[in-house]
Amino acid sequence: MPGMPTDGGGGGAIVPFRGEPDQGTPSPPAVRPIRHGVAPPIFRVYISWSSGNLLQVACFRPPNSEGRGRSEEVAGSVVEVNFGCGGSGGAEVEEEIDEAEMRRIEYGSVPAFALLQSRKNALADAAAMSRMSSVPDYADWWQYVLEYSKAIGNLLGNPDSPLAFMIEDPKTILKVREKPTSLKAAWELLEIFYVDKQLQSWLPERLVDWLADFDSLLSGTESTVYSKLSNFQKKLINLQIIEDDPDYWNGLSSALSVGWLDIVVNMLRFHGSYQLDQMDNRETENGLVEAVAVLVSTMPRLRPNLPTGKLGQCCKTRPDFVKAWEKWRGQVTKLECSAFWIQCGHQKTRDGLKTLLHIMMGNIKELTASTFHWLELFASHFLYIRPFTVGFEGMHHLAQKCIQLKPSSGTNGLTGLVIGVLSENPEVVLAECTKNFGPWLVTHAMELLTADNDYADTMLHEERPNLGGISIEELHRLVYAQVLCSHSLTWQIAPTYLSSCLNQGLGLLEILLLKQPIQDNRLVLKTLEICRLYELDDVSRNIMKIAGIYHWKHGRKGAGVYWFQQAHDKVRLDRIAQQLFERIGKSVTDDSFKQWEGLLELLGPDIGSAGGLEFLHRYRDFKRSLQQALAGRSGEAARQTADFLIQLMRNPSTPQRFWLPLLHDSVELLNCKPSPLINVAETTLLLNKLQELSLAKLRPDFSNNHLPSHALSSVRLALASNLARAILEDP
Amino acid sequence: MADSPLFRRHPLASSVDLVRWLPSSTASPSGRLLAAAVHDPSLGSAGSSIHLFPLSDTTSPLASLPLPSRATALRSSPAALAAATSSGSLHLLPSSFECDAAVAVPGGAGFHVGPVRGLDCGGEEWVTAGEDGRVHVVGGGGDGRVVARRVWDGKGMSGYEAARWASPAEFATGGAGCGVQWWDRRKGDGVVAQCSGIWGRGIVTGMVHSIDINPSRKHICVVGGSSGTIFAWDLRWPQQPIPLSGVGLNGTTEPVCESEVWEVLFDPYTQSSDIITSASSKILPVMMCSEDGILAVVEQDERPLELLAEACAINSFDIDPQNPSDVVCALEWESIGVLSRGRDTMAEDDNC
Repeated sequence: MPGMPTDGGGGGAIVPFRGEPDQGTPSPPAVRPIRHGVAPPIFRVYISWSSGNLLQVACFRPPNSEGRGRSEEVAGSVVEVNFGCGGSGGAEVEEEIDEAEMRRIEYGSVPAFALLQSRKNALADAAAMSRMSSVPDYADWWQYVLEYSKAIGNLLGNPDSPLAFMIEDPKTILKVREKPTSLKAAWELLEIFYVDKQLQSWLPERLVDWLADFDSLLSGTESTVYSKLSNFQKKLINLQIIEDDPDYWNGLSSALSVGWLDIVVNMLRFHGSYQLDQMDNRETENGLVEAVAVLVSTMPRLRPNLPTGKLGQCCKTRPDFVKAWEKWRGQVTKLECSAFWIQCGHQKTRDGLKTLLHIMMGNIKELTASTFHWLELFASHFLYIRPFTVGFEGMHHLAQKCIQLKPSSGTNGLTGLVIGVLSENPEVVLAECTKNFGPWLVTHAMELLTADNDYADTMLHEERPNLGGISIEELHRLVYAQVLCSHSLTWQIAPTYLSSCLNQGLGLLEILLLKQPIQDNRLVLKTLEICRLYELDDVSRNIMKIAGIYHWKHGRKGAGVYWFQQAHDKVRLDRIAQQLFERIGKSVTDDSFKQWEGLLELLGPDIGSAGGLEFLHRYRDFKRSLQQALAGRSGEAARQTADFLIQLMRNPSTPQRFWLPLLHDSVELLNCKPSPLINVAETTLLLNKLQELSLAKLRPDFSNNHLPSHALSSVRLALASNLARAILEDP
Repeated sequence: MADSPLFRRHPLASSVDLVRWLPSSTASPSGRLLAAAVHDPSLGSAGSSIHLFPLSDTTSPLASLPLPSRATALRSSPAALAAATSSGSLHLLPSSFECDAAVAVPGGAGFHVGPVRGLDCGGEEWVTAGEDGRVHVVGGGGDGRVVARRVWDGKGMSGYEAARWASPAEFATGGAGCGVQWWDRRKGDGVVAQCSGIWGRGIVTGMVHSIDINPSRKHICVVGGSSGTIFAWDLRWPQQPIPLSGVGLNGTTEPVCESEVWEVLFDPYTQSSDIITSASSKILPVMMCSEDGILAVVEQDERPLELLAEACAINSFDIDPQNPSDVVCALEWESIGVLSRGRDTMAEDDNC
């Protein structure tokens, strides 16, 4: 795109963009000085994107500027400007995942994405073939999506795996784990709500699990159960009598209210009454603590199974659960009304344990007091008040109530996502993903959104005129592909995404491939391999031609010819042949021909593919044969050389300027005794050529061969005497 | 996507172009060592280096040798580790792996201009063959310096992509279009035999990427190159290359891959299927890696044995000379993979 700098100014400097003050640009544009070394005035500026973040800026002076007549001044220059990854992204993903880690995720998600797309295409093809039977195929589509979702979820890290093999301190409350990322949290959330049909009826419990894994992510700006517990953990070492500390009891009730039963039981065992020296005095107290611990660990949970280390009793069906729940609640109430409390001497223990029992009985006041974030209150409702909550509408109402009780100060991408999901609003979900988690998540998560949601499916796949006729899905894939293209290590995976974009993907893919650097043969071959996979033969031929011209220009003639040959570019091979003849015409010594060997070998036996270069091949054969003939004086070699000479002179592709040198080289051959090697007809042909040459000599474009001046006459003499002998020999 | 216990990927957080085992005579307490040529484009010219690290911990290199540009060839010998670059320089790191002791031959008009992909060690001397068509022999100058002697200057008429010593006096080179050439230093430093190769997909000539010569049969080269082509060239019958794999080639079973074969090596671990006759005519098993992510063992007239089929290109691999069941490979997606071939896998192969 050519641009004209303003005249005058600071003597030809490129004038930076100035935002209109009235319209109030939100932020001033970043101005980057470029050292181009071209003296003013600058006449023209070209700007184009190269590969990745590289911008090429070409500055030129006026073509015929008088410019004080100094010729050493640079007439123009091309500067490459590398734009770093300026931290204006703002997505919180970038803060916790470094670039290399993000690239690892990007690479790893390619096979899963490609597999899902090919399955989708196969299903669509099958449906098109037989419209009747398409329904049962689609019925288990979500299982494919679930497989895809699990594969990508694994890439994002596994919060359950311990960081390394370590001996765990018995006084550890929160297990040391791999730090969870909000990317993983968002992915799991979408998987829970949109894909996993099998576990749909246990949705509340899954949310509780999700919160247990990712509660630490909510602690960034506000206090959570996780942050309270980790603070207490730090304090724990210095505590003499644990049960006297109010934070101990607060921590216990908080952990219980969000259902971290294993932590509660573990913490209860820190109670002083368990110490051997105090067992005797505090027998009743210890009994109460243990009774609560048993009740906590036998709490019924409406879910199929529990991961190892987690507590509670699983109930797969609702009737089972109701039965167990009523029995358990009865035990809790019985303990609460027990007479043993009066015998318990320790006031704080008594109050603390009672609070725990109230939480288990679903006391809303206690639950509200012991949770901090609205999502924690939300989860505690599922556990103790409304275990049968189903349906998005009910959940959304509950969420609204919790937000009223625990207004959230900072906005977090994850809470926005939860609200978007619960309000059954795919647009909000998509917007939250775009805003907070970057193009990688949006592109890959769209498959989850559409897994079993007809509304989202139509919304994302509908072609929109205001987006240039592409769908929202395609738009986001294109955006992600652009992000991949901007890095020289990830551009190779962009074609996977571009090829899944039906409208504009292929066009952009061709542009991407043609923009790749061609300096390195290996990189060219990698680009060509992508062309082959997507059957872009024209693009690959163009790339080969570009590479050929590059190598030819830089003196690597062999590589240049190789690429032109691969591209079947006859026109350029012919042009190259003309240039080679110029050089060869000047230096046809026998030694220098050795250097041409490699190039000639390249032309191979199939001369047709070499264009005008076929002459060089024949010329080499002639030279070699002549050398043998003159050295060995064997009749057979001489005869073969004569054959080569006639072939060369007959062939129309032999350039005229080589006629005389060829004939001059073979003077000795023509004078060969005893019998002439060339018969009458052949000699006549050679004489005709010589005559043609003499006429051509008068033309202005005739090129001189640096042969001795008597060359022509000596050839003529040799031909004449050969003709004479041939006539005599002729039977 | 769980990896089998026999194959492990180690992410390196920068592009890995080449990877080699280091001889374990220089063993460190931390076990077997690897050398990898890494490249980080975000660091510009400072982003290329050779990392040496133990197999047990790929994240923290023991030593790092900075290179002026991206590495194009990497070889180790008992005495040194050598790397050539795309700017035509050669770097030799003595086996003590002290980066201060590294010596370099700078690229330029006096040595190579442009990438040097052919590099091999023949006892005392290194041979380098570049895309500029030059061939050098680099050796010690007697006073601790290295001296490069020009064997041939092709003046760009042909470009070399691979080089391999056969004996102290003979080596083979290969390149774009020029096929394989055999050089004999006793015969005036010239090409004594040449073979344009046998290429698949109907093309007349392809690009040679890698050559290997078995030390026990120095007259046979195995060559890997364009379009999934692998062929063997026996100097005793120089006009009849033996196809091992290729698209649409007669005489081979189904091609093991259709894209560029980046590297070939004779595989001492895989037993030839035909032990009795192998002494006479059959080409020994050859391992290859390719742009479409295949790591496989091919053998004449046999079905190829696929060891890995990755989603990304395998740019380079190396078989541990001390323990040939272990293979390390450089994957396009910024990681290296280590494959351990145990007895179990061999038993499985026998069954199928």
